[in-house]
Amino acid sequence: MARYAAQRLLLMIGILLGVLTITFILSRVLPGSPVELMLGHRPTPELIEATKKELGLDQPLIIQYFTYIGEVVQGEFGKSLRTGRPVLEEVGKRIGATLELTTLAIFFVVLIGVPLGVISAVRQNSILDNGLRATTIAGMAFPAFMLAMMLQMLFYGELGWLPLQGRLDSEVLLDSTFPRHTGFFLLDTLMTGDWRAFGSAAQHIVLPALTLVIITLATVTRITRNMMVEVLSEEFIRTASAYGLPSRRIHYGYALKATLIPLLTVVGLTYGYLLGGAVVVEFVFDWPGLGGFMVFSISQNDFPAVMGTTLFLATAYLMINLVVDLLYFVVDPRLRAQ
Amino acid sequence: MKFKKILMAGAVAITAAGALSTSVLAASNTLTVADRSSYKDWNPAVAFSEEVRVLGNIYETLLVLNPAGSAEQFAPGLATSWSASADGKTWTFNLRKGVTFHDGSAFNAAAAKKSLDYVKKLGKGAAFIWGALTSVEAKDEHTLVMNFKSATAADLIASAQYAAYIIAPAAIDKGHDWMSAPNAIGTGPYKLASVEAGQQIVMEKHDAYWGGWKDGQFDRVIVKVVSEAATRVQMLKSGAVDYATVGTDQLAGLKAASNVDVFTADSWKNSMFLMNASKYPTDNVKFRKAMQLIWDYENVVTSIYGGYAKLPVGPLPASMWGAAKFDMPKQDLAAAKQLLADSGVPQKDWKVSMQYIGDFKPYADSAELFQATASQLGVTVDLMPGKWGVIWGKAKKLETSPNLQSMSWWPSYATPNDWLVSLFKTEKKALFNLSHYSNPAYDKLVEEGMAVEGSDRPMAIAKFGAAQKIIMDDALAIFYGDISTYRVSAKNVAGMSKNLNPAYEAVMYYSLTRK
Repeated sequence: MARYAAQRLLLMIGILLGVLTITFILSRVLPGSPVELMLGHRPTPELIEATKKELGLDQPLIIQYFTYIGEVVQGEFGKSLRTGRPVLEEVGKRIGATLELTTLAIFFVVLIGVPLGVISAVRQNSILDNGLRATTIAGMAFPAFMLAMMLQMLFYGELGWLPLQGRLDSEVLLDSTFPRHTGFFLLDTLMTGDWRAFGSAAQHIVLPALTLVIITLATVTRITRNMMVEVLSEEFIRTASAYGLPSRRIHYGYALKATLIPLLTVVGLTYGYLLGGAVVVEFVFDWPGLGGFMVFSISQNDFPAVMGTTLFLATAYLMINLVVDLLYFVVDPRLRAQ
Repeated sequence: MKFKKILMAGAVAITAAGALSTSVLAASNTLTVADRSSYKDWNPAVAFSEEVRVLGNIYETLLVLNPAGSAEQFAPGLATSWSASADGKTWTFNLRKGVTFHDGSAFNAAAAKKSLDYVKKLGKGAAFIWGALTSVEAKDEHTLVMNFKSATAADLIASAQYAAYIIAPAAIDKGHDWMSAPNAIGTGPYKLASVEAGQQIVMEKHDAYWGGWKDGQFDRVIVKVVSEAATRVQMLKSGAVDYATVGTDQLAGLKAASNVDVFTADSWKNSMFLMNASKYPTDNVKFRKAMQLIWDYENVVTSIYGGYAKLPVGPLPASMWGAAKFDMPKQDLAAAKQLLADSGVPQKDWKVSMQYIGDFKPYADSAELFQATASQLGVTVDLMPGKWGVIWGKAKKLETSPNLQSMSWWPSYATPNDWLVSLFKTEKKALFNLSHYSNPAYDKLVEEGMAVEGSDRPMAIAKFGAAQKIIMDDALAIFYGDISTYRVSAKNVAGMSKNLNPAYEAVMYYSLTRK
C-alpha cells in the first residue's frame, strides 16, 4: 500500500505540472494585457514598460514559464495583480470557506443519498423508487444559479428563516474574535464555545450547502441504487435471506458493503466536482471562498491568482482521489492481499 | 427516531443562536450598505475604480466640486481659499486649520505636500492628472503652493475623486503594501475599522472630524459585499440594508417598493459604440454615418435603459462643461440605405462586427436591437460579446479589432479633455482610441484647448467645441445615451438626495441621517 501511495504521489506531481503548464499557456494566450487592466487609463508607455519589467512580463514566454515553475517549487506563487497581496495568502484566507462548504455538502449527500439509494433498490420499480428518481434527477437538472435564487426567495424572502448571503452576520463578524485555526467556522466556533458565532455560521451555511446537496444528490443516490440492485440479485444475498437474517443486516451489512468501491469512487469524484463547481453557489451567496476570488481574477486577467487557485484546486482534487484510492485497501481485503 | 431528535435539536439551536446574533444588529446607530464587489486598490494614490466609494469617506480632497447650477463652482475641502497666478501656472491654497488625521497627527501644508509628491512620484492610477505639476511648496504651516509647467486648471484637479486625496504622512511612510493590506489614515469623517475579504468593510466615525458631529448621523458604516444584484435588491426591500448599488433594470421594481426611495440626476457618464475608422468597411465615413442612422435611439433610451438615460447632444454628456450641442442623428432607415448605396461599399461587404461586454444587459440588448434593424437593410452584424479584459485586448489591436466597440466613459476629473484625448486623439499604440482614429487637425485643437484650460476657459471651450465638431463630422461613434446617475436607499434614511453630484461616485455617509 505504501508503495502504491508513493507511486500515486509521483503521478500527482506529473499531473500538477501538466495543469500548471496548461494554465500558464492559457493565461498568456488570452487577449488582454493584465498590466493595462492594472494601470487603468492613460498610463504612460514608461509606466507600462516598468510594470511589465517588475512583473517579469518583458521576458520571453519560455523564461517566464521556467521562472514561474521555479518559484512554485519554492512555494512562491507570486502576488495577485488585482489585490497586490501574495496569492498564497489570498488562497489561504479563502480555502477554509470553500472546504467547509463542500465538505458539509458531501457529508449530507452521503448521509441522505446512500440510504435513499438503498431504499430505491430494495423497493425497485415501486412508486417510492420512481418518485425518488424523479425528484433527485429534477434537483440535478436545475441550474445551480436558479436553484440558489429560489431557495433565497423562499427561506429569506418569504419565510424569513435564514440569512441571504455571507458567512456570518455583520455584527458577529465585528465582535467575535474566535481564532480561525481550521478555517471551518463551525468547528472553530464550537472549539472556542462561541455559541453566538456558531449559530450565525450554521444559519449562513444552510442555504449554500443545501443548494450543493440538491444538485449532486442524484448522482450518489442513483449509483447506490444501481449497484445495490446488482448486488441484491447475487447468490450470497439470496443465501443470507434463506438463512433468515434480518433484511436491514442484509441490505446495510452485506449488500451495501459490496457496493463500497464504486460508491467511494463516485463520492470522491462528486467531492472534487463540488470543490471546483461551487463557484456559482459561492457567487450567489457571497460565500467568501475560492470561487468568487477565481471569478474576479479571471475577469481581471489576474493570472498569478488564477494559476495559484487552479493549482490549489487541482491538488485538492488529486488528494481526494488519492484518499479514495487508499480507502479501497481498507474496504476490500482482496486488494490488501495483493 | 434518535436521528429525528438530533435534527430537531440542531435546528432549534441554530435558530436560537441566530436570533441572538441578529438582535444585536439593530442596537447600534449603524448604516448598512450592500455593494457589488470587494475593492481592488486601497492605496488612494493608486485607486482608480469603484473603491472610491469607500475611500471618498475616509480621505478628503483640497476642494470639492459643486454640482452644476450651484452658486459657487467649488466648496472648500481641506483648503478654505485658493487663488491662481495670472498665467495659471502657480496656485496657492490656504489650508483648513484644526484638522487631524485619523492617527491624531495634524494636517498641514507639509503633510499635503508629502501626499501630492507621493502620488506624483508613484505615477500610478490617475496620477497623470498631475502631469503638469513641477513642484509643491509648503510655504508656511497652512499655505500650500503648487507650480505647474503650463497653465493648469488646478482647482478642477484638486477636487478630483481619483489621485487627489490627501494621505497622512504616517501612511505614506508605512508604504503601499501597508495601505493595500488594507489600512488607511485620512482626514475624512470615517476611519477604516476592519475589512473581511469578500464579506464586509467597516468604517467608524472619526470623532475629531473637523466638520463635527450631529445627532442622527451614523457612528458606523458597514459595507457588505453582495455580488448578485438581485440579492442586493432583496436586502434593500427587506430592510436588511439601508443603501445598495443596483442596476438600471431593477429601478422600476424598486420605485414601486413602499420602503425604498429612488433618486436620479444627470451624470458625466455617456455610452456609445465607437466605430473603427481604420477597418473596412467602417473606414468609410458614409458607411459610418449609415450605421448612425440605423440605431434606434429612442427605443434604447426609453426601453432598454428604462428612462435612466437621455438622448445625447454631442460626444460629451450635456452636463459636462464644454459640451457642444449638435443636431444629433436620428433613426432613418431610408436615409441609411441611401448612404450605404452612396458609400461605394459593395452590398456583399455590408458586414460589421460588434463587440461589447456580454454580461452588461443594456449593451447586449442594444446590440441585438441594432442587429435586427440592420438586417432589414441587408447589413449583417456579427455580435461578439465578451469579458472586458478580453474584448479590450482584441479592440486595441487593429487586426483583431471589431468595427463597432461598446464604450462608456466618465472623466478622471471635471474636464472635457478626458473624452477628447482618451477616446479620439492619435495614439501610437491604441489604448482607448478604439476607433483607431488619427487626425492631426483634431489633435492640435485638443492640445490647444488643454493648454488654456487653466487660464482661459472660454477659449478652451471654443477649441474643444471645434474638436467635437470633427468627431461628429467624421461620425466616429454612435453616441446613444447620457446615462443618469441614481441612488436607491431605504425611506428611513435622510440626505441621499444630496449625493447626486456627478463629480463623485461615493455617497458621503456623513451627509446621511436616520429619519
